[in-house]
Amino acid sequence: MLLAALLAAFLLMPGTAMAAEEVSVQELVANMELYDGKQVVITGEAIGDLLLQGDYGWLTVNDDAYSVKSLEEGGDFAGYTNWGIGVWAPAAELQQIHILGGYKNKGDTVRVTGTFNRADPEHGGDSDIHATSVEFLEAGYPMPHPFQYGKLLIVLVLLVLIAFLWMDRRGRIRKARRKS
Amino acid sequence: MILRPAREDAKLIGWGIGRVILGIGLIMTVPLVVALLSTEWDTVLDFLVGILACVAFWLFMEITCHVKKDLTWFHGLIVASGGWLAAMLFGAIPHFMSGHFKAYLDACFDLMSGYTTSGLILIQDLDHASHGLNMWRHLLTYAGGQGIIVIALTFLFAGTAGAFKIYVSEGKEEKLLPNVINTARAIWMISLTYLVVGSFFIWIALLKEGMPVARGGLHSIWLFMGAWSTGGFAPQSLNLLYYHSFWVEVVTLVIFVIGSFNFVLHYAVWTGNRREIYRNVEIHSFVTTILLGTVMLTIGFAKMGVYSNFGEFFRKGFYNLASGHTTTGNSTVFSTSFFSEFGFIAMWAVILVMAIGASACSTGGGFKGLRMGVVFKFIRGEIRRLASPESAVVSEKIHHVNDVWLDDALVKGVMFVIICYVVIYALGGIIGVMYGYNPSVAFFDAVSAGSNTGLSAGLTSPLMPSLMKVYYIFEMWAGRLEFISVIALFSFGGAMLRGRGARRKKR
Repeated sequence: MLLAALLAAFLLMPGTAMAAEEVSVQELVANMELYDGKQVVITGEAIGDLLLQGDYGWLTVNDDAYSVKSLEEGGDFAGYTNWGIGVWAPAAELQQIHILGGYKNKGDTVRVTGTFNRADPEHGGDSDIHATSVEFLEAGYPMPHPFQYGKLLIVLVLLVLIAFLWMDRRGRIRKARRKS
Repeated sequence: MILRPAREDAKLIGWGIGRVILGIGLIMTVPLVVALLSTEWDTVLDFLVGILACVAFWLFMEITCHVKKDLTWFHGLIVASGGWLAAMLFGAIPHFMSGHFKAYLDACFDLMSGYTTSGLILIQDLDHASHGLNMWRHLLTYAGGQGIIVIALTFLFAGTAGAFKIYVSEGKEEKLLPNVINTARAIWMISLTYLVVGSFFIWIALLKEGMPVARGGLHSIWLFMGAWSTGGFAPQSLNLLYYHSFWVEVVTLVIFVIGSFNFVLHYAVWTGNRREIYRNVEIHSFVTTILLGTVMLTIGFAKMGVYSNFGEFFRKGFYNLASGHTTTGNSTVFSTSFFSEFGFIAMWAVILVMAIGASACSTGGGFKGLRMGVVFKFIRGEIRRLASPESAVVSEKIHHVNDVWLDDALVKGVMFVIICYVVIYALGGIIGVMYGYNPSVAFFDAVSAGSNTGLSAGLTSPLMPSLMKVYYIFEMWAGRLEFISVIALFSFGGAMLRGRGARRKKR
């Protein structure tokens, strides 16, 4: 009896919990055919903008090295631009996201579970994820940009150089005028 | 053979290049203001350093290279080609200081890509880049589209008789107005008017997709600059795929198609000659080649079966094909999708239209529609000649604002430039293959660089070999200037070296 109940519970478990596979965006993009229509899980930084359109909306999630520590925070060069993907999710799920990644902020970290589409027929063939859940993992924060005194020094040196060159040029122009 | 340049020649060229660099410094004030308004203090310092370096260089050149002589054709060619290289080196200062480039070479690559309206990028972590840096990226492609020399002409070369010589040296052979300074200003008037109108339409489309008002405003200006200049830059790493918007794609498609047309055609239409749209050889050429490309794309997509309905065909297929043909480089797919999702036939359809490119005297690159028209008419004329009696006189003409009869000199000039393009495309592809890249991918990116398109099949990245970065920079530069100025620069360098050798022998 117990065995039958366990078997029934297993069979009735939602597909997402059974089949969702944690993958990186880079892996998804490199193997679109393999993951097409499959349940996947990605974890990364909410980037840019929330594009809300009624009950649903778009979110971009980056799960590259820069989503852990961006170059603006002093992260290391990883050898690529970024790796991110568009996530189509219910607006209610997206509204828990408050900080989006950019120059000034490290975005909220989220875990997205959903179906990967190699060519989404609902959205003009976009390669995207239709999310069934967006889990909020960690709040983002403003990234400090300490004042760069070294750069200020370069500015001052260049200003002195320009002043010197300017005076020299003026002197030459005056001299030429006097001659003529 | 070019005679050994005198010291005065070198000085005159240095003076001209100094003025071009001052122009670059002036343009940098725009991103400086954006960085100030966005309270991005770090970025403010980057641009201050860039501007001051440009001003210092200009002053140095004014002091050391002042000569009372006007530019000749040869000087104009060298100022144009050398000016672009110097502009790359100085323009890359804020890029490199931003900390988004591992090497100065990478920053120079993005600069040359921007100026030449190519759109290939090596910037890392673009999604965390500042507004100031993004404004500079897009502004330089917008300015480069009109021509760096055009900018310098507008503000800094007024009154010099040599102005026309450097204008022509930048790959723009046609004048809209009798005076070249007025021509440069007319080009700016056309571009700025479109900037206001085009940005407004993109902004409306972005608001419809749920973009916040202020960020939507900034993105709309950047997207316009990227599309109009056929540069293809976008502020997010996913390029146009970031917006998931049919309307943003439609508006940018219209903008980059219009942007790829000849400024002479724009001016003719603006001044009331609307019939020119239907008669111009470049429009005929563009319509023919894009139709052929679409047929090829359809066959390729049918074979692959990834994009199956009309909406997908339009947004993933036709959009990227048109982006390639106009040498824009805005993309709605991941770069690797050109190889994995498009398949061989559709991928080569994009390569072929990229190679052909946009119109002459426009912001686009490639062979150009005008040259394709000349070649087509020449071949047709030859066939007609063969089929006619020996005594028959067969001649062909093209219509480009006026009717132009084809002669041997014209055809020879056209063939020379087309062969130069084919050589740089082929060399780039071969170098890629030699480094172990897939041949289709290697040729895709090589043609993209040489035709100043900017679409990538995944080869172009900060990890690509340095030799390929340098070669792509050369391809973008030579392709944009259409070779003549570049050949002149090399001849100048050769003549200088010969001169030194001769002097040593004398001693």
